Amino acid sequence: MSAEKEKSKTHKLSLKGSSKIVAEFFEYSINTILFQRGVYPAEDFTAVKKYGLNMLVSSDDQVKAYIKKIMSQLNKWMLGGKISKLVVVITNKDTGEHVERWQFDVQIFGKNSKSKSSRRSGDKENAAPDATEPAPEKTEQEIQNEIQSIFRQITASVTFLPMLDGNCTFNVLVYADADSDVPIEWGDSDAKEIKNGEKVQLRSFSTSNHRVDTLVSYRLGE
Amino acid sequence: MATVDVCTPTKGRLFTTKTAGGRMPLTPSPKTSNYQPTPPSIHSTPTFAQALSRSGVRKSAKSNIARDSPRRLELGLSDWTLTGTGTPSKPRSTQAGVSTATQSSRPRPKSSVRIAYNAADRFIPNRSASEAISNAGTAKLDTTTPKRRPRSAQDGSAVLSSSAATAGLSLNDRTADDEDDDKNYSKPSPNTVAYESSIANACGVSLNTRILAFKPAPPESSKPIDLRSQYNRPLKPANALSAQLRRRILTSPERVLDAPNIVDDYYLNLLDWSCNNQVAIGLGQSVYVWSADSGTVSPLIEDIPETYISSLKWSGDGAYVSVGLGSGEVQIWDVEEGTKLRSMFGHDSRVSAMSWNKHTLTTGSRTGALHSHDVRIAQHHTNTLTAHTGEVCGLEWRQDGAQLASGGNDNLVCIWDSRALNTPKFQKTNHNAAVKALAWCPWQLNLLATGGGSHDRHIHFWNSTSGARVNSIDTGSQVTSLRWSTQYKELASTSGFPDNSISIWSYPSLVKNIEIPAHESRVLHSCLSPDGQTLATAAADESLKFWKVFEKKAGSGSSSAAAGVSKKVDGMAAARTIR
Repeated sequence: MSAEKEKSKTHKLSLKGSSKIVAEFFEYSINTILFQRGVYPAEDFTAVKKYGLNMLVSSDDQVKAYIKKIMSQLNKWMLGGKISKLVVVITNKDTGEHVERWQFDVQIFGKNSKSKSSRRSGDKENAAPDATEPAPEKTEQEIQNEIQSIFRQITASVTFLPMLDGNCTFNVLVYADADSDVPIEWGDSDAKEIKNGEKVQLRSFSTSNHRVDTLVSYRLGE
Repeated sequence: MATVDVCTPTKGRLFTTKTAGGRMPLTPSPKTSNYQPTPPSIHSTPTFAQALSRSGVRKSAKSNIARDSPRRLELGLSDWTLTGTGTPSKPRSTQAGVSTATQSSRPRPKSSVRIAYNAADRFIPNRSASEAISNAGTAKLDTTTPKRRPRSAQDGSAVLSSSAATAGLSLNDRTADDEDDDKNYSKPSPNTVAYESSIANACGVSLNTRILAFKPAPPESSKPIDLRSQYNRPLKPANALSAQLRRRILTSPERVLDAPNIVDDYYLNLLDWSCNNQVAIGLGQSVYVWSADSGTVSPLIEDIPETYISSLKWSGDGAYVSVGLGSGEVQIWDVEEGTKLRSMFGHDSRVSAMSWNKHTLTTGSRTGALHSHDVRIAQHHTNTLTAHTGEVCGLEWRQDGAQLASGGNDNLVCIWDSRALNTPKFQKTNHNAAVKALAWCPWQLNLLATGGGSHDRHIHFWNSTSGARVNSIDTGSQVTSLRWSTQYKELASTSGFPDNSISIWSYPSLVKNIEIPAHESRVLHSCLSPDGQTLATAAADESLKFWKVFEKKAGSGSSSAAAGVSKKVDGMAAARTIR
């Protein structure tokens, strides 16, 4: 009995740990998208073992620094539970048209519905008892497996996504709570939605505190 | 009847219908469904107060007393910070005002009600319809952003304070009043809020979240990408270096030594590095040899009388140093023994450039004359090469000894064939200033790079077989020396004013890989270590610096370098200054 209890303790993630997993997932997602969609040349990426896969992460100093800057702020927001969506938009450099939009919806289980105080959701204390959907206990391995299958799907999605002509750039958007602290590098933006885009829902994963859904929308070829 | 209405002030729907009748243009109609019941904390009293107030209005309707009285209230209650009477318009018809007021007073939120309670005994404030409207707006706001709530209380009080005066307002006047309130409390007018939220609802966006974009532009991709080739790319990229293997050039000196009394003269050649890993430098009237292996300095020539060192060069085997003097004399020294082997005369002015080709030493003087010496025989003077009319400051034999390049103060570059030294094979006049910097390419024998002085600033590349100029770079400053890398397809140039820098150029792309600000004044001389990794520069700021600009990649062991690489590194660590 006590041994079992002990075991469940070790596998239970605090909100902090959960935020870390989600933030890490974002970082690898951004790298994977940049690689898979050819935003940067393939030679600029190196393979890293992660989630039981060979993940490709950029080894270009500038790109690395750029992503690092995004991630450092994202980590803060994640810990505060301020984020509801992360979006990676791929834009055609010539026309400025948004051609692809990868959206990661974050649900925090501790977060109350809008009618109640939204600020309280940041409290670690409130997170567990207030949980609207009590998350089933998951081992770290199960979470890793869920993330792994998302990345497999992202990788596989290049087969149905339209060809990009290579001359593309990307932007990172975040849907944050109105009361979040916003550093100077971040500014309000429109949603950069894709006009008449096709949408494909990919897999999700969840931790004890977060659930992340993945959605890709893309412009249909004429 | 009035009391009944007041008792249920919280019914939003009721409020809407009421207001819809009288003041359509103002009401935020789509929003009122959101209207949240305010806690009816002190219900009974307000009704009483309101009843009182309404009766009072009639008396004090047009009076200015009403406006004064809230001020007094403020004094009593510290939390009523806002007066906000604004510009209440003068009450008009009292009778009409009363009737509208009775209507509008019903849906009053608790905040203002509380004030009425306090104020009731002083004067009888009549809430104009305008308050009701503005309060309706704030109350709605409250539901979304709870922290605003205290504000609305103040709001209410302010409105209240003005209310007596505005008792009998027409609709238009109330609008004005509303806007005034907005200004004072810097809060979105009910109209704006209603508009925003209705738009937000329509778009399915929550007002609680903002979309933030990371504003800095992402870095440019280093080359255009064709995804097609990426999907079936070879396992190992054929030519492109991956980013982590890309070459980084060290930009700080590995070691700095003092070079006191170095003559600040562009035309001299006072620094050379032997294949035995020894650096010889001419400082004024002395020559010192610094051993890179051991880090020790030994004086070779000290205080030569009545003249100065104008050039020096190691022989190919690294055993001897030839030294040119200001008097025109050329001496050959055995470094290990520290003895002079011989003196060779022939030049009648200073010898500013020299170059070895096996046993042949070619020297150039200020007059422009070039002499070839066979150092093994007594009659050493074997050839005189005449072409230059100005001081010869650059002289370089090709590695295989088949050709000789010379540059002079007459802006001329000459390429000589060793089999026919009487006349130059090519004479090039493209430079507009003295040519001191000359370098033969180690991997392409017939490629010669030449750099011009401060009026010219160009590096030209020549095919020494055809004599054609194959490339040019405008460096932007005086080119004082040129060195080809033996490891990379690169060329290092040193420069004078304005940057006093070392630049590394890729060849043949001619892209400047890096520019290192090297010295405080112009770089006079440079030489490469025998292993080709380190560039030594001597400058007029009396320092000798060592730069590992062509550092070899670990693992890419092309052992073209001379012996003693590892020994040299140890020696560097243990080295000390020249003084």
